[in-house]
Amino acid sequence: MSTATEIIDNLTDDPRRRAPLVIGGEDFASVTETVCRVPEAKKTPLLWYAAFALSGSIALYFVALIGYLVFTGIGVWGNNSPVFWAFDITNFVFWIGIGHAGTLISAILFLFRQKWRTSINRFSEAMTIFAVICALIFPGIHVGRIWLAYWLSPYPNQMSVWPNFRSPLLWDVFAVSTYFTVSLMFWYLGMIPDLATLRDRATTKLRYFLYGTFALGWRGSARQWHVYERAYLLLAGLSTPLVVSVHSVVSTDFAVAQLPGWHSTILPPYFVAGAIFSGFAMVVTLLVPARKIFGLENLVTVRHLDNMNKIILATGSMVGYAYFIEFFMAWYSGNPYEWFAAMNRAAGPYAPLYWLMVFCNVLVPQLFWFKKWRTTPALMLIVAVLVNVGMWLERFVIIVVSLSRDFLPSSWSMYYPTWVDISMLIGSFGLFFTFFLLFVRFLPMVAMAEVKGVMKKKDEV
Amino acid sequence: MSHTNPPQYWRSLGELADTPEFRAHLEAEFPTKDSPEGFSRRRMLQLMGASMVLATAGSCRWKEREELPFNKRPENRTPGKFERYATAMELGGTVLGLLVTCVDGRPIKVEGNPKHPNSLGATNAYAQAAILELYDPDRSRHIIEKTPQGDQVRSWEQFSEFAKKHFEEYRKNGGEGLAILSEKNHSRTECELEGKFAIAFPKAKICKYHPFVIDEDLPQYDFSNAKIIVCLDADILGLHPNSVKYARQFAKTRAAAGERSSRLYVIESNYSITGAMADHRLALPSTEIAKLPRVLCKAIENDHSLIDLEKRLPIATFQFIKAIVTDLKSNRRKSIVVVGSECMEELGNDILFLNSALDNLGRLVQIRGYVASNPSTAKQEIDLGEFVNLMKRGDIKTLLVQGCNPAYDSPAELEFTKAFKQVSNIVHLGLYRNETSAFSHWHVPQSHVFESWNDLLMSEGCYSVQQPMLEPLYGGKSRIELLSLIVGDENHSPLDMLRASFKKLVSSRQKEIDVEKTWRETLHEGIHILPNSDLMAVPGMSDFISKGLAEEYSETSTEVSSNDKNAPVPVQSISNGQLEITFRPSPAVYDGRFANLSWLQEMPDPITRLTWDNVAIFSPATAEKLGVKHEEIVKLKFKGREIEIPAYILPGQADGSVAVTLGYGRTAAGKVGGSEKDGVAPVGVNTYKLRTSDAMWFGTGLTVEPTGRMHQLASVAEHFAINRDRIGEHGRQERLGELVREATLAEYQKDPDFAKKIDHHPPLESLWEEHKNEGHRWGLTVDLSKCVGCGACVVACMAENNVPVVGKERIFKNREMHWLRIDRYFRGDAQNPQIVFQPVMCQQCEMAPCEGVCPVGATAHSKEGLNDMVYNRCVGTRYCANNCPYKVRRFNFFNYHKQYEDPANEVLKMASNPEVTVRMRGVMEKCTYCVQRIQAAKIEAKNEKREIRDGEIRTACQQVCPAGAIIFGDLSDKNSAVSRSLADDRSYQMLGELNTKPRTAYLARIRNPNPELEKAEKIEGNHHGGTEGTE
Repeated sequence: MSTATEIIDNLTDDPRRRAPLVIGGEDFASVTETVCRVPEAKKTPLLWYAAFALSGSIALYFVALIGYLVFTGIGVWGNNSPVFWAFDITNFVFWIGIGHAGTLISAILFLFRQKWRTSINRFSEAMTIFAVICALIFPGIHVGRIWLAYWLSPYPNQMSVWPNFRSPLLWDVFAVSTYFTVSLMFWYLGMIPDLATLRDRATTKLRYFLYGTFALGWRGSARQWHVYERAYLLLAGLSTPLVVSVHSVVSTDFAVAQLPGWHSTILPPYFVAGAIFSGFAMVVTLLVPARKIFGLENLVTVRHLDNMNKIILATGSMVGYAYFIEFFMAWYSGNPYEWFAAMNRAAGPYAPLYWLMVFCNVLVPQLFWFKKWRTTPALMLIVAVLVNVGMWLERFVIIVVSLSRDFLPSSWSMYYPTWVDISMLIGSFGLFFTFFLLFVRFLPMVAMAEVKGVMKKKDEV
Repeated sequence: MSHTNPPQYWRSLGELADTPEFRAHLEAEFPTKDSPEGFSRRRMLQLMGASMVLATAGSCRWKEREELPFNKRPENRTPGKFERYATAMELGGTVLGLLVTCVDGRPIKVEGNPKHPNSLGATNAYAQAAILELYDPDRSRHIIEKTPQGDQVRSWEQFSEFAKKHFEEYRKNGGEGLAILSEKNHSRTECELEGKFAIAFPKAKICKYHPFVIDEDLPQYDFSNAKIIVCLDADILGLHPNSVKYARQFAKTRAAAGERSSRLYVIESNYSITGAMADHRLALPSTEIAKLPRVLCKAIENDHSLIDLEKRLPIATFQFIKAIVTDLKSNRRKSIVVVGSECMEELGNDILFLNSALDNLGRLVQIRGYVASNPSTAKQEIDLGEFVNLMKRGDIKTLLVQGCNPAYDSPAELEFTKAFKQVSNIVHLGLYRNETSAFSHWHVPQSHVFESWNDLLMSEGCYSVQQPMLEPLYGGKSRIELLSLIVGDENHSPLDMLRASFKKLVSSRQKEIDVEKTWRETLHEGIHILPNSDLMAVPGMSDFISKGLAEEYSETSTEVSSNDKNAPVPVQSISNGQLEITFRPSPAVYDGRFANLSWLQEMPDPITRLTWDNVAIFSPATAEKLGVKHEEIVKLKFKGREIEIPAYILPGQADGSVAVTLGYGRTAAGKVGGSEKDGVAPVGVNTYKLRTSDAMWFGTGLTVEPTGRMHQLASVAEHFAINRDRIGEHGRQERLGELVREATLAEYQKDPDFAKKIDHHPPLESLWEEHKNEGHRWGLTVDLSKCVGCGACVVACMAENNVPVVGKERIFKNREMHWLRIDRYFRGDAQNPQIVFQPVMCQQCEMAPCEGVCPVGATAHSKEGLNDMVYNRCVGTRYCANNCPYKVRRFNFFNYHKQYEDPANEVLKMASNPEVTVRMRGVMEKCTYCVQRIQAAKIEAKNEKREIRDGEIRTACQQVCPAGAIIFGDLSDKNSAVSRSLADDRSYQMLGELNTKPRTAYLARIRNPNPELEKAEKIEGNHHGGTEGTE
C-alpha cells in the first residue's frame, strides 16, 4: 500500500506536500465500490424505510394542507393586515437560501479550482434542487388565487396583457426559475458519467434500462469527456452569476419596497452572504450523519467539513456585520422610521426572536475559530443546526417584524402563526427529506468520476 | 343508434309526439328491445362519449330562475337607472330626512335629504344600515298565531277576522282591559288613529315607551353661531338624537379657523366623541355633573360663589368651572349650555334657566314648537310603571305591542316578562320575532320604514313624509295599518289617511296654498316646513317661561348656596359598592334594535374601537383600585341585580364611574345579533338587566367583582395597554404630531403655515418620470377640525362599495375589510388624554408604491390620477398591501360572500350596489374614491354635452358626513371646492415625505383652548409626569 494509507489525519497542512483529498488508501475501484454500494444494495435497510415512511407521510400531509389552503383561502394562515406576508415568504426565502450552497460548491469552487469540492458537490447540488423545489412551492401557493398564478409568466394571450416588469416579484419568477433550471441541468450533467458507471454495474434489466436511459449513452470516450468538460465549464460559468443574482433578486422583493426595515441597499449582498451561510450549514447538517451512515468518511473527510466550516465562519461574520450595518445606517440616515424599525427589532415585541437570531447567526459560528469545533462532527452539527434555525429566524425578523409595525401606528398588529403555518413549515421539511432519501437510495451520492480526477494516480504516489 | 324508424327519432319531437312507437319509447326511458341490432363499436363509443359530455354539461347548469319583463313598464322607469326618492326615518325622538337610491325598484343606498333641516344632506350610521335591515333575511316573514298545537302560520285575512271579532267585543265594554303599548313617535296619522281609538275604546289604556327618549320635546339648539358651548354629559355630536344636525352646526363654527371658532367645554363621565372634539374636557362622574347646572347658575349670578367654590373643589375642577363661567359671562347671547337628553327630565329647567340667564334663550336655544301629542288620548296615556302594574294585576286582557321590544329593553325592576304572562291576548307587531314576540299570541310582521307610509311632524314644525320604496317584502304591516284595522278604519289606505291629515295640518292656510300641489311637492321634496305662525310654545315650557324664570330661580339659587351638600365634591376615594354606573346607548346597535345588522356590529366604537361586543369602561385608576384587568370579566352588582361583562380600561373615564353600553346581549335578534332559537350566542352582554326606572342613565351603589376570567375583545386598534412596550410607545409618540397635525387657534394665527412645517425632509424628487395627467385630477380633503369621528362614513362606505363583514373572529386577526377606517390616537396626559381622529382611506398616491410592485399590473394608474384596482386581474400576491404606507388595502382572506350561497340569504344580495363588483376570495381591494359615482357623473355630463359641475360627484363618505369634513372634486379646476380646500394653509399630506404624492390631503386640526385654563392644565399635566402618546 502507498504512503497515503498512513495518512488518516489530512488536517495538518504540510507545506511540502498537498494534503490528500481522499484518505484511507482508497483507490479508484474502492471509491466506485463505496459510492455504488448504497444505490446497489440488494436489501434496503430498515432505517431507510423508517425514515422514508416518516418524511413521506409528512410530505403527504404537506400536500393535503396545500389542498386545504387552495380550497379554503389564505385565511387559514395567520397572515393579517399589516402582516400580509409571514411564514409563506419566510419559508420561501429560507429554502432559496439553503439552495445556494450546491451551485456555489459546484460552480464557483469549480472555477476557482477548489478540488475538495468534488467529494461534496453532488450531495450539495441535490440538496439545492430539493430546497429550490420546496422554495418554489411557497410563492406558488401564497397567492390569493392560485389558479391564476400563471399570469405572472409572460405569455402571449388574447387579453394582450403582459406582467408588470417593474415588479420585483416578477424578477423573482425569472430568477428562481432560471436558477432551478440551470441547477438541475448542472446536477444532471455532472451525474452522467456516474450514471453510466451504475448502468455498467447493473445486475437487473430494469436498473440497466433506467440508468442506461439517463446515462444518455455515455461511453467514456475521449471525445465524450472533451464535450462533457466543455459543457460543464460553460454551465459553471452560467451558474456562477446566478448564485449571486438569485438571492440578490429575492432581496429586491424587500429592498425595492418602501417599508422601513426592507428599504435598504445592503440587502442584496447581505442576502447572498446569508444564503451561502445557511446553505453550507444545511450541507454540514446533512453530510455529517450521511458520511457516517454510508461510510463515506474517506471520501468526505474531516478536512472537507473543516473547509465548509471556515466558509460558515466567514459568511456568518458577514451576516453579523450586515446586522450591525443595518443598525448603523438606520441611525446614520436620520430617518426616524428606519431607526424605529431597527429598534423595534431589537426591543419590540418580537425582540426575543431577534436576539435568538443574533445568537444563532453571529455568536454561535464564532465557535468555528476553534479547530476542535471545526473538526468534530458532533460539535459542528450543533452549530450547523443552530445556524439553520437562526437563518429561518432572520427571514422571519426581516419580513414579519418589519411588516408588523410600519408607518401608521393605527395599523400595527402582531402576527401569530396558525397550526397550518407551522404544519406547512414542517411539511416542507418532510418533502425535502423525502426527495433526499430517494436521492441517496437511488443515485450516486458522491461524484465518483470527479473524485477520481483529484485522486493521486498510483504511479504518482 | 339503429332504430326501427331512425329518421323519425332524430327529427323534431313534436312531429313524433303522436306515434304510438314514440310514446312507448318515451315511457320506457331506456328502450331495450331495439338496441343491440347493428350496434357498432364506434357508435357505442360515440354515444358513451356524448352521454358523458351531456351528463357533465347537465350537472354544470346553474339553478334556473325566471326573470320576466314587466308586462307594462312602470312610468319613467329605465331599467338599471338609479332613482332617488325622498323619505324620512324616525329614531330616538327625531326625524331624519332621507333620499333613498333605488335601482330597478329596490333600494340600495340611503343618503340624507339636503332640504331636510335635521339631516342637511347627511345621515348617521343607523340610517346607512337601514338598507341592510330592509333585506335582513332574519326579519319576521309570517303572521304567527300561538296555538296549543304550536306556532301556526296565518294569513292577514285570518288575522283581520280574529281582530275584528276580538276588538268588536271591546267596543261593547268601552275597551275595558284593552291596552296599546307603542314606541314614542311623531306620526301624525298614528296620532289621529289613536284619537279615534280613544273615542272607540274610552276605557282602554295607552302607554308610550322608548328606552332612550324620555322627553320628546327637547329644546332646539343652534350651535352654528355659538362662541362658547358647554356640554354637561351631553354627547351632542355622537349619541344625541339630533347629532347629525348638530355636528354640521358645530363644524360651521370651525370652518374657517378664524373669528368664528367656537370653544367647546365638555364635562362628562364617559369619553364621548364630543369629549374628543372638546377644547377642554373634564371627567367627572355623572352624579356630580348633575349638580353642576345649579353651581353654574349661581356662579354666573354671583361672583362671590366662585370664591366659595374654590375652597371646596379640587384645583383642576375649580379652574375648569372658573374658565367656563368667565367665558360664558363674556359671551352672553352667543353661548349654549347643554345637558344630555337623558338628564332633561331632571335638569331641563336648570338648563333653561342657565341659558336664559345668559340671554341665550330664544336665540341659540329655542323651546317653541309644534306639539305632536294628541290631547284626546292624553287622559288614557299612562306611564310604563303604572302600565306594568295593571298588567300584573290582570287588568289588561288584550295588549297590542306596536314595534317596541319591552321584554328586552324595559327597566329591570318592572319584570316585564312576568307581567306579560298575566295578559291573555298579546298582539305583537314587530320587524323581527324578538324577545317580546315570544310572549305574544299573535305576531304580525311589521313593514320596514322603506316599505310603508308615514307622516312625521317634529315639534319645530318640520313635516316629513315617509314613503315606501317597495312593496313589503314579507307582507309586513305598518302601525298605521294595524291601528286602522282595530279602530275599524281599514278601508282607508295609509296614503289616504296621510293626505287627510296633511290637509288638516295646512287647513289654516288653505286659501293661500293649493293643498294638492303642496302635498305633491311635499312628497317630492320629502319635507314641508310649517310657517312659524303655526308653531306654538310647548305647553310645559311656555308655563315655565310665563312664570318668570328669574324669580323662580333666584329662590332656588339661594337654596343651593345654603345647601353645601349639593356642591360637587371631588371623588378622591373610589370605594367599591359606592361606584357610579352610567348607561349609554350603543353607537353601533342603538338600543339593541339594530343588533342583527352586521354592518353596525362591525362598525368600531368611535372611542374604544371595539366591534361585536359591549364592555364596562373603567378609568385606569378605578381599575387599579378594584384590581380589574383589561379584558377581564367582571361581575357588576347593582341594586340586587348582577351581570358579568368584560372590563375595558379607558383613560379619560371619570374615576369612580363605570360606563356600560346598552343594546347588546340580544337573545332573539337573529342569526347575527344572537338567537337562542338558532343556537347563535348573543353578541355582548345585556346591560338592561341592571337598568331600573330610578337609574335610567346613572346611579350609584355599584359593586364590582373581578372574576379572574379573561375575554378577548375584538378591537380594530391595538389597545394602549396591550403590548405596551417602550419602543412602541416611543414610535407612536414620535409620529403622532406628524400624522395628525394640530395647533391652537393662537398658534395658528401666529403661523398659519404651521402644518406644512412639521415634517422636515430634503426636496422630494422622483427617480423616474411621473404620471402625466390628462383632464380631471380627482382629489379629496379631510378637515380634521371638523371630523367628529362618528363612524357614519365607515358604514356608508360599506353600503356603497359592497364591503363585506368579516365577523368577530377575523377582527381578532386584524382582517377587517373597511375601506375607510378612522384612526384614533390618544394624546397628552395619560390620565386624561385628548383623543384625535383621522379618517384614512386610499390616499390615491400619484406615485403609488402599490402600483410598481404588483407583478400582474392589477393596480394601475388612471389618466385622472386614480389608483385603480383591477379585481379580475389580481392574483393576490399582497405585495401592494405590504408596500402601502397607509395600510388601506384590504385582502379577501376567505370567501366573505359565502353567506349568499345559502338560499335563505338570497334576499341579502339585493342590498348590494350593482355598480360595484363583489370581490372574490384571494383578491385585494381598497377605496376607489367611489369610482362608480365618478363614471356615472361623467356619462351623464357627456350625454348632456357639458362639463362635470363641481360638487356633482360626491363620494359616499363625503355625502354621509354630518360634519361636512370631507370634500371631493377636481383639482384641475382651480375654483373647485376641493382645490380651495387644498389651498387652505392648514392642508398637509400624510407621510408626504415618502414622495407618494397623495391626492388626499388633511387639513390640520385647530383647537381653541382657553389660554388661562391651558396654562393651568399644563402645570397640572407636569405633575402627572409629562406627556405620553398612546394609541
